[in-house]
Amino acid sequence: MIGSILVKVAFIACLASVASYLQHRRRPSPNLLFYARALYLITVVTILATAGYLLSLILTHQFQYTYVWSYSSRELSLPLLISTFYAGQEGSFMLWTIYTGLIGVFLLRHSSRKGYEPEVMAVYGLIQLALLVMLIAKNPFKLVWDSFPGQVEAGFLPANGRGLNPLLQNYWMVIHPQVLFSGFASMGVPYAYAVAALLKRDYTRWIRPATPWLVFGATILGTGIMMGGFWAYETLGWGGYWGWDPVENSSLVPWLVAIAGIHTILAQRKTGGFVRTNLVLGMSCFFMVVYSTFLTRSGVLGDTSVHSFVDPGMMVYWLLVGMIVVFLGLGMTLLVMRWKEIPKPKSQHSYSSREFALALGSAALVATALLVTAGTSSPLITDLLYGKKSAVDITYYTTTTLPIGVLIGLLTGIGQLLWWSRSKWTEFLRSLAVPASVALATAVVVAWLVPLGFLTALFIFGAAFGLSANIMVGWRIVKGNPKFAGGAVAHIGLAVMFLGFVASSKFDEKRTISLEQGKPQSVMGYQMTYTGYHPIGNDKYAFRVHVLHEGREFTVAPIMYYSAYTDGLMRNPDVRNLISRDFYLAPLSLEQPSNIAEAGTHKVQLKLGETKKAGTVDVRFVDFEFPSDQREKMLAGQDVEIGARVQVRLPNGATMEAVPKKIMHQGQMTDKPATVASDATGSEGYEVTLGTMHPDQENRENSSVEISVKDLAAVAAAARDAAGKGDILVAEASVKPYINLVWSGVIILLVGFLITIVRRSQEATAAAEAARNPDRVEPEARDVAPELADGVQSGIA
Amino acid sequence: MKLKVIIASVVIILFIIFGSVSFLQSNVEYTDVTGAMQKHKKVQLKGQWIKDKGSSFDPATTQFTFFLVDDSGKECKVVLDGAAPNNFELATSVVAKGRFTDEGYFHASEVLTKCPSKYEAQGSDVKKQS
Repeated sequence: MIGSILVKVAFIACLASVASYLQHRRRPSPNLLFYARALYLITVVTILATAGYLLSLILTHQFQYTYVWSYSSRELSLPLLISTFYAGQEGSFMLWTIYTGLIGVFLLRHSSRKGYEPEVMAVYGLIQLALLVMLIAKNPFKLVWDSFPGQVEAGFLPANGRGLNPLLQNYWMVIHPQVLFSGFASMGVPYAYAVAALLKRDYTRWIRPATPWLVFGATILGTGIMMGGFWAYETLGWGGYWGWDPVENSSLVPWLVAIAGIHTILAQRKTGGFVRTNLVLGMSCFFMVVYSTFLTRSGVLGDTSVHSFVDPGMMVYWLLVGMIVVFLGLGMTLLVMRWKEIPKPKSQHSYSSREFALALGSAALVATALLVTAGTSSPLITDLLYGKKSAVDITYYTTTTLPIGVLIGLLTGIGQLLWWSRSKWTEFLRSLAVPASVALATAVVVAWLVPLGFLTALFIFGAAFGLSANIMVGWRIVKGNPKFAGGAVAHIGLAVMFLGFVASSKFDEKRTISLEQGKPQSVMGYQMTYTGYHPIGNDKYAFRVHVLHEGREFTVAPIMYYSAYTDGLMRNPDVRNLISRDFYLAPLSLEQPSNIAEAGTHKVQLKLGETKKAGTVDVRFVDFEFPSDQREKMLAGQDVEIGARVQVRLPNGATMEAVPKKIMHQGQMTDKPATVASDATGSEGYEVTLGTMHPDQENRENSSVEISVKDLAAVAAAARDAAGKGDILVAEASVKPYINLVWSGVIILLVGFLITIVRRSQEATAAAEAARNPDRVEPEARDVAPELADGVQSGIA
Repeated sequence: MKLKVIIASVVIILFIIFGSVSFLQSNVEYTDVTGAMQKHKKVQLKGQWIKDKGSSFDPATTQFTFFLVDDSGKECKVVLDGAAPNNFELATSVVAKGRFTDEGYFHASEVLTKCPSKYEAQGSDVKKQS
């Protein structure tokens, strides 16, 4: 009750804040501004109170709330219990709302200092409003008797909740969604600034206050993507760090667009061009967040993904469609209305300029984003084309992004070697010499060592070129002013990551192995011995495998357990980092040596008079054997025996007769098999069991029975065979060379971003000071001059 | 200026063609047993596991074999590289990704299981004193 009211209070406050800001824009008044701010702060405080209330419901196990009942339980540890807050759709929308609110408080201060407050906060408030509408529709405070009317009586308090999906019971669950949703939330800021710029008809200055937010959002989102990849790799056992799954793609696409925007905004700062491009890209980051949310949350992807996307109902579907229409509509309408008056710089761009390289790089990033979006939307597209939904294969993503990756690798180097506005071709070509030769050598050596496709070799060339060019340029920048090294560092990280992609995907060796307990087995140069399993608590079991490789010994212990929640087997891999490579063991199952009960059993369906082979014998169905007093006995409640007379022809030629029966005892059927001795000694023979019977009263010829014949000798042999053998652990072993390149590349990339954030925020503060103190020179006025010290351009993110 | 526009348009058109061709080529369509037999390319075969015919895992080849029946009632042997997929016994239907081989069975690289609305709660679940 309180929760639902709080959400509505927040909604009304937010609506009033947006209205006040808009009114203030039309007729500025300090009173209105005060109200608008106060109402926004009330909105945020109310959201926080709502969240606190939900959290307290979770912590005190108020299972009468459907959301609490659905995702938490008494058994969870405190961090995981807290994380159930955003385990479901309602809560994750709430998390998004919270971060949007918190960022909004900083944005309010920030935008007011930059003179953008009414416009920015009106637009940003609209985003907040949309999220609150979603929370009203997907209310996390519903009570179980309202969720299941007629099935649960009012006031019922469930003793325990359904619990958290075991896949999510991991420390990553505590941190990863937080990071991801704060990234999503910060993507709203560039949108708000771009729309504000259009509203204010101030088309060029908005990028300055918006840039730190864009870089911040990209950093956070990048961190979130990396964490997701590591989670998948380390504990989910998907075998890799990236599976091009809709959920993964939905965070990648906004990130790509943000990176593209960062590059063209940089070009605008230096050259004054790309004004329209930046307005579009600034808004697109947020569109992509909303569209991705629509894809993964509205249920449109249906059964086409490994993830189970629960259909949240038409309400959420239409709300998300509504969000797309409103925000896309608002942005595009303004853009079209103002298109003509947006200034277009007259300067001709030279092809040998850094801004041209930046523009190409952004175009490549946007192209990647479009291809990934098309792939993720494939169920929608195929539904339109063929009338039924199907998804693209993962190879789609790799084949389409590989050539663009080559271009991106090359451009990260070329962009750094070129001058702003115009470079001398001869000078540029001379600067290419070193990185190009390093790259060529790398690609040739790698291609010589391992067979590679041409495109892959080209990809390695591109990455190695970008790497060496950025190391060269970066080194000179660091000697000058390390604060300017952000771009070079980020590009080095990207190149290292690219090399890691190739190493870990092209040189990955993977084998499915069956390890019999105690029996060493050598695969891919690793000798593995399964030594048995032991419980590790929570009904989970660790399966120890001893590994011997080039004189090094270690033990990996992947985990398997039965989960009542998913009613299935859960598996966690184990990874051993060997610096140059990872040894990765993903368990599949534990098999019993052989199925003794089923060994040597053959089942046949026989018509009256028919003969069929059942293993080593032939069986003929002679007739049914129903007792004549069957009806009387049944009525009297006595046991009734019904059977089938069969002839069994043994391998030695002898024919024996058997009558397997079924006994009906008070409506219960039990089998009464007949045995047939194989020879005179009668030691081991055959056991004949009667299966289902299909008597046909009208046409007796069509009557049939099911007979199974168990070869007792074969069963005994299987049992003898199994006695000496241990369990068999089936697992997928893989060796992933240089996967650490991927992780270190991502970390270097993020460090580059951080350096840039520090630099840009210092610059913004200096600029604000300069505005108050007109005597001082604005740092941007220094332009490129000091950075050109020794003939090399600085690397700027 | 003219040349610039032409080059840019050509690049964009080539990009669109490249994207669409890749998209159509890698689109893995859903089909039944008859469809899988006709098309000798990667498809998604949808059907149900025939419980009576059992299933088996061969540790020597590390392949999992079972029989599948599609909606039209046509049966087909499926050989999966790897062990039994999660929730195989409980699945209401399965989707096998792979291609039909000349040896007369469907060779799957992946089998997805669809479970009876396992995450969708019912009122009766609430009453269960778990």
